[in-house]
Amino acid sequence: MKAKTGVRLQQLALLVGLLVVWQFAPQVGWVHDSIKFADPYFISSPSEIVTTIYDMATGHNDSLVMWSYLLSTVVASLLGVLVGTVLGAVAGLWLSNNQHWSDVLRPFIVALNAVPRIALIPVFIIIFGPTLKTAMVTAITVVFFIVFFNAYEGGRTVPPHVINNARVLGATASQVMWRVRWRYVLAWTLASLPNAVSLGLITVVTAEILTGTTGMGRLILNSVTTVDAGLTFAVVVILSVLGSVLVGATAVAERRWQHWWNQGDGVIGS
Amino acid sequence: MLTQTNELAAPLVSLDQVSFTYPNGTQAIGEVSLAVRPGEVVGIVGPSGCGKSSLLSVLAEFGRPTSGSVTWPQGEHSNRHRLSMVFQKDTLLPWLTVEDNVKLFQTMNKRRAVEKADIVDELIGLAGLDDFRKSYPYQLSGGMRRRTAFISAMAATPRLLLLDEPFSSLDEPTRIAIHQDVLNIVHRLDTAVLLVTHDLGEAATLCDRVIVLTARPARIASSHDVQFGPERDVLALRQDPVFLDLYGRLWHDLSEQIERSRASQGEERP
Repeated sequence: MKAKTGVRLQQLALLVGLLVVWQFAPQVGWVHDSIKFADPYFISSPSEIVTTIYDMATGHNDSLVMWSYLLSTVVASLLGVLVGTVLGAVAGLWLSNNQHWSDVLRPFIVALNAVPRIALIPVFIIIFGPTLKTAMVTAITVVFFIVFFNAYEGGRTVPPHVINNARVLGATASQVMWRVRWRYVLAWTLASLPNAVSLGLITVVTAEILTGTTGMGRLILNSVTTVDAGLTFAVVVILSVLGSVLVGATAVAERRWQHWWNQGDGVIGS
Repeated sequence: MLTQTNELAAPLVSLDQVSFTYPNGTQAIGEVSLAVRPGEVVGIVGPSGCGKSSLLSVLAEFGRPTSGSVTWPQGEHSNRHRLSMVFQKDTLLPWLTVEDNVKLFQTMNKRRAVEKADIVDELIGLAGLDDFRKSYPYQLSGGMRRRTAFISAMAATPRLLLLDEPFSSLDEPTRIAIHQDVLNIVHRLDTAVLLVTHDLGEAATLCDRVIVLTARPARIASSHDVQFGPERDVLALRQDPVFLDLYGRLWHDLSEQIERSRASQGEERP
């Protein structure tokens, strides 16, 4: 308990230290002179960011109110990650349980994964219009592959004698898939979620910047046209808080369902 | 109690001139003919790598015999599960409690679950795992994990149980402590056993008959009847001159096979 408090205190000290440096270092003459971008014009400052966020939250100082933009990004990210994860996990489970279709489809999946999804955003805009849907679909195409490859590997790590044991006990192919492989796939899927969430969020914001109509990406576009570092960093801070909350939620799910995973039982039969 | 082992009863399973060659050309089983009677415990010992485990794989239908046949003369009229197996490596599902692992057969075979519901409780009691019902495999000792794997296989109330060096990972006192429970439970459920082991003491303690195999490709070198009967005290038995004599004969035959396999390997070397 004491050790944990110590860690927390040090984390807090580090955070405060970084904020203090960010806030005050540009005001020190030689720092300002030797590093060109050590200037609030480029990197804003913690106090300015806090003020901007406050204004955006309340509409104070005739500011844009961010809530509808934030909601759009949250919805697109959550749906994108959720749908991409479910599709990726189920596809990974199915192919890991089916040697034939795995052999047939794998080269296609590898090739599709090599497609830069961001480059497809214009196509999605044509299909879905410059809406939340475009951001969501792009996120799905990114998250699906991250989760799929992890889920597939997870399904393949089940030792053959564990599968054989289930078969000897009368398990059908679908029972082997759902009652044996599935938990490995789930474990590996959950392990891939922090990456999937953060890349999903990046994709959503990128799509929003390109569509230029909704979401936090639209606010970033505003900050570019008005050369407003404060607004950019405010959006960035909000997005990182959002990302952390989403990743934290996956960690809770992992602790709850995967308690056995961290007990050296990740690879049974070893 | 169910029927006693009967010398005259039709064999439960018979292997007729079974041979087995792996796809890579390695011949594991030369030609083995062997019949196991209902309720009989048969031990298989032999030089390491001689094809003992392949014999079990053929019986469990993980691979088909290259020639010869496996027949079940009593047919399928019995409503009992044909066979289950305890593997050398751990097959417990780490996300399930002891109780749910033992129930795996019932989970996989919903229709038979009702008639065999009591067996799970009974087996957990007989194996001394009452206090660990709700424990996960990672919370168990090595011996308890093996007990759980054993009763999980027995919960199918199979007519034949295949044991593939099931206790080889345990230290000797733990292993001997399990032997008595294994004997009691297989006799209680009138299950025939085919035990592959490299522990001659284990073979002599548990079996009604011990077969010594030659080096690969395996053939039957000798067969030894064990006269202790089904009711035996595995601890007291170890000091019985009959046990020591049997152990000596088994060791004599096995060492002869080991010598031969060494000699033939020597010839093969350039």
